[in-house]
Amino acid sequence: MRVKISSRYALVLALVAVFAFFSLTTTTFLTPGNLQSILVNNFALLAVVSMGMTLAIAAGGIDLSVGTAIDIASLIFVSAVAAHVAIPLALLGALAGGLLVGAFNAALIAWLRITPFLATLGTLFIGQSVQQLSTSGGQPIYLITGHVPPAFTFIGHGTVLGIPFALIVVAASAAVFVTILGRSLFGRRVEALGAQPGVAWYSGLRVSRDTAWVYVLSGLVCAVAGIVLSCTVRAYVPLSGNAYLLNAIGATFLGTTFSKVGRPNVPGTLLGVLLLNIVANGLLLIGWNFYWQQVGTGVLIFLVLVVSFGGRRQHSARAA
Amino acid sequence: MPDTVQSHIALPVDVSAPRSRGADTARTLVRAGSLLAFVAVFVAFAVAAPGFLTAGNLANVVGQVAVIGVLALGMTLVVVGGGNDVVRGGIDLSVANTLGLCAAVYATVLGDGWGDGAALAATAVTGLLVGAVNAVSVVWLGILPLLATLAAMNICAGLELVLTHNTVVAASSPLLDVLAGEFPAGVPVLGEVLLGVAVLLAVVLHLTPAGLRLYAVGGHREAARAAGLPVAAFVAASYLGSGLCASVASVLSVALLSGSTTGSGDMLLAVVVTALLGVVFSRRLVATIPGTLLSALFIGLLINGFQLLNISSYWVNGVQGVLILLVVAATSMLRPHAR
Repeated sequence: MRVKISSRYALVLALVAVFAFFSLTTTTFLTPGNLQSILVNNFALLAVVSMGMTLAIAAGGIDLSVGTAIDIASLIFVSAVAAHVAIPLALLGALAGGLLVGAFNAALIAWLRITPFLATLGTLFIGQSVQQLSTSGGQPIYLITGHVPPAFTFIGHGTVLGIPFALIVVAASAAVFVTILGRSLFGRRVEALGAQPGVAWYSGLRVSRDTAWVYVLSGLVCAVAGIVLSCTVRAYVPLSGNAYLLNAIGATFLGTTFSKVGRPNVPGTLLGVLLLNIVANGLLLIGWNFYWQQVGTGVLIFLVLVVSFGGRRQHSARAA
Repeated sequence: MPDTVQSHIALPVDVSAPRSRGADTARTLVRAGSLLAFVAVFVAFAVAAPGFLTAGNLANVVGQVAVIGVLALGMTLVVVGGGNDVVRGGIDLSVANTLGLCAAVYATVLGDGWGDGAALAATAVTGLLVGAVNAVSVVWLGILPLLATLAAMNICAGLELVLTHNTVVAASSPLLDVLAGEFPAGVPVLGEVLLGVAVLLAVVLHLTPAGLRLYAVGGHREAARAAGLPVAAFVAASYLGSGLCASVASVLSVALLSGSTTGSGDMLLAVVVTALLGVVFSRRLVATIPGTLLSALFIGLLINGFQLLNISSYWVNGVQGVLILLVVAATSMLRPHAR
């Protein structure tokens, strides 16, 4: 019993511990400027991407093509804006791009019955070629400084009532995914799919249709991340989305420790994303170079995994 | 040969689903089809690209796929011991970065004035250590292989950067000169090493009781445990083997590039594809050493043919992606419905 409790709050404890540690050891960590920079520059994008990953992993799958959806959306959005297409139309185009990637995955997984890992891996590869072919090998598309529409700048750097717009996007997508996963019928079916796919199928759930929606939604939310990314850097940089893949997977699984039954959940994922970003930022501030930061982050993920899987072991052993 | 050995191990899915002759025929077709695809690609390039079918070029391809091939062979061990399910089964995402770390160790130790012997020992120890960390976290700490090796991958990438400061560490030694050379038969030594590793692993995995038991462990862990097999030891050994393969591949990569270079992590997906694609070359659609070797050569030939035909290399990833999807779609159609 005690093991269970401690493993459930391992993530929160780790978060409090690193926060306290960096606040005490550096003078620069606990400043409004730094905290805001963590939230806006690092936390926001990964958090949005991780929403899709959380849903996919909750459904018993995985989405390796999150980077592809981000990149394709960014490619369409920036190209459209550069060609003076109206912003709403460009936004729609970007969302359609993410939708397309998601629908492609959905078709492969739900109808061709390819395992999610391999299906999305295939999409990732195809997405790389598409981007290389359409940018002559990976040339970024920049918006010329004088020609950036105000709406574009607003998405990337604007604030509403003092709150950065990127964080509002995070809050909105988190709210949507909390509702989907925790409070909707669809979410219950997704949970059933992830926990007991065989039982879900025998119970008469329309497994294929629900699975398809999972990947479509993941593609869509990644497109949102792609739009925010484009607006933040004012450019489309080919193949940049993959940088979020491993951290999104890591954050989602870190987040599973926050659930009583070890399942992916939106609040847990957000805490996981926050932990990864605080550690990266803090290690930078205490003067660890970039190289040691990566080691540190790896070790930290490892420790949280040890605690969470250690606490879950008896549980799963009985289930198996 | 490997297939007859494995047919003793009943996979749970196969037992519950009555096996129809039709499914068997279909499997044979897929296998024949994949071999035919192999031959068709071969013939198409031979006709379209002058110079493709020369002994020199083919030997070059074997050399070019050596690094990824050896990594994929190590990955095959893990897939065999952990089972085919990609998320819950065996996978080692750390192989590519283990290679990077090992290459950095090898080049650094050489640079510090040590000989080949010491450098090789340090490299092998590094690879085995990473394998041991993976083994401990998967087997004894019960972490999902996908996650455990993901964490190991990050740590290796970081340690490599710490060692090399993100620069190229040039290296030269008598061993590297030999490895970078050509055999009298005209096949690059790198290719010979790949074939040697493949033969060695094929013998261990497909001709010894230990290999058969590793398949049993991956096929149905509970049944293997009930039969009295030391399941933990077998799974742990597969990760150690993968780590060792990564250190062998790292020496090959240092020989090929005359030093340790950054960006080895980019190889990961190609390695995963190679190991998983190899499944279609086996009759029962399981991972085998010859299958992985064939798929490494297949991908190598594909890339080489593209280069000879002057097709933009930007297409290569896409074609690989389509290939995975085609192969997996075909094979998953044939597997009994395992929802």
